[in-house]
Amino acid sequence: MSDAKAVADRLVKAKRLNALLTPPKDLRKSLLAQAAAARPTGVLYGMPVAVKDNICTLEFTTTCGSKILEGYQSPYEATAITKLKAAGALIAGKTNCDEFAMGSSTEYSAYGRVVHPLDKTRVPGGSSGGSAALVAAGVVPAALGSETGGSVRQPAAFCGVVGIKPTYGRVSRYGLVAFGSSLDQIGVFGRSVHDAARVLSVISGRDPRDATCEDRDPLRLPTVPESLQGFVIGLPREYFPPELDPAVRRACDRAIRMMKELGAAVREVSLPHTPYAVPTYYVIAPAEASSNLARYDGVRYGPRFDGNTDLRGLYRATRGQGFGPEVRRRILVGTYVLSAGYYDAYYRRAQQMRALIAQDFRNVFDRGVDLLFTPTVPSPAFKAGEKLSDPIAMYMSDIFTVTANLAGLPAISLPIGRVKGLPIGGQLIGQAFLEDEMLEAAYALERVVPATDDA
Amino acid sequence: MSVSRDDVLRIAQLAELDVADEALAEIADQMSRILDYVAQLSAIPTNGSVKTFVPGPDAIRFRPDEVAPAPLAFGPEDFAPAFKEGFFVVPKLGQFE
Repeated sequence: MSDAKAVADRLVKAKRLNALLTPPKDLRKSLLAQAAAARPTGVLYGMPVAVKDNICTLEFTTTCGSKILEGYQSPYEATAITKLKAAGALIAGKTNCDEFAMGSSTEYSAYGRVVHPLDKTRVPGGSSGGSAALVAAGVVPAALGSETGGSVRQPAAFCGVVGIKPTYGRVSRYGLVAFGSSLDQIGVFGRSVHDAARVLSVISGRDPRDATCEDRDPLRLPTVPESLQGFVIGLPREYFPPELDPAVRRACDRAIRMMKELGAAVREVSLPHTPYAVPTYYVIAPAEASSNLARYDGVRYGPRFDGNTDLRGLYRATRGQGFGPEVRRRILVGTYVLSAGYYDAYYRRAQQMRALIAQDFRNVFDRGVDLLFTPTVPSPAFKAGEKLSDPIAMYMSDIFTVTANLAGLPAISLPIGRVKGLPIGGQLIGQAFLEDEMLEAAYALERVVPATDDA
Repeated sequence: MSVSRDDVLRIAQLAELDVADEALAEIADQMSRILDYVAQLSAIPTNGSVKTFVPGPDAIRFRPDEVAPAPLAFGPEDFAPAFKEGFFVVPKLGQFE
């Protein structure tokens, strides 16, 4: 049992990161109360788990990093939270994130940007940047994030921690604030593969309150394998383009060499529709977001920004003032691609392309490949402000992660080296509901790869 | 540029979103860049018979139609901006075009 007071102290000390949205006083009080009530027999007994602010909790407010939900207290909690508490974990506050999980740098929060724990001039990645930064800074051993296009794996890679995005349907999304419903999954950060995996195991499994959650038992954790004998690992050539950052390439080459030494068979494969993944994603995700975010209208919950006009004026003023620039942009793009006359050109096309991208993965897995290995992000953490004026440059940061979301597959990012002190992430993409195989390989790789050495 | 200021205003109206006049030019420019970028999807041939993708092997299934209450810790009077006698209070309807 970790000392709840010590955890609260660490969380307060990490204030410079701006990673936590819960006021320190509330957090301390809640942690002490939770520790007193925690189930001593639970498998996560006493483990503090920080939670991204788009996952509903009864202990703390849920703002999604947005002004439009400022001060919002949810009247119910997410199934993932209920499961964590039942396992004895302590909910260690709510973490800062890009507004409604839309962003790749955690600069689009209404509550200020999150600072990279190793270099204050850089971003921690996003959108779950607060969760990643707290785990990387050693404040909590694990945290929950959410993924729509890479929002756990990308910040995990930037911050040098482990990030897992489970198969679509593995974890209940009841209580996860919806962004792109055909893509969203709750994901987990950990300082090690095992820390992340055991939290994932607890929150996974059936939930009658989420129709998209598979009727399966919770994930069973594999043991750490002696070798990777029998594993066939594919290297998709589209993920190693000539313009890939040389240090990222060196770190990947080293990890690949180590997997071979562990006995894995490594072969080059092709996922030919990969170049279309980012444009596909940036049609589907905004389209779904424009629909999901229609509920924020100043009538039922959250603040109301102008009550003196007529009803329509109230909607427009509340949404116009409540949403930040990236959310506004995505709502407008999403509304555009769904509007009459454009639906076939954009949305239907993107849906077809999504099917082809998923088929690419099936083709490779059908030919005997067990897992794919890729860089998680094309470069290490970038400078704050660097990509704010260019949405497309920001979107390209998701180029190696969005495919797993589009195809609904599980994927993990783990640290595989550093360049000039900045972490580099390597990614394993697995087959649907075969997280155990993916975790086995990650355990083996984690044990041998010099994660903090320069590549 | 594929999106004009008038397009932005029309879309903003559909999205029930106020957009400040001084922001219009920048939004039109950024929407144009995004839409021009995603337009590459229309340049590649996709077989018309390609089905819409549903993630997960059987992610959405029929299940017994049973009412299972999900109790709230507190009611809307505690989280609504304006709530009175069991109703959400809103301003008058006004004119809908």
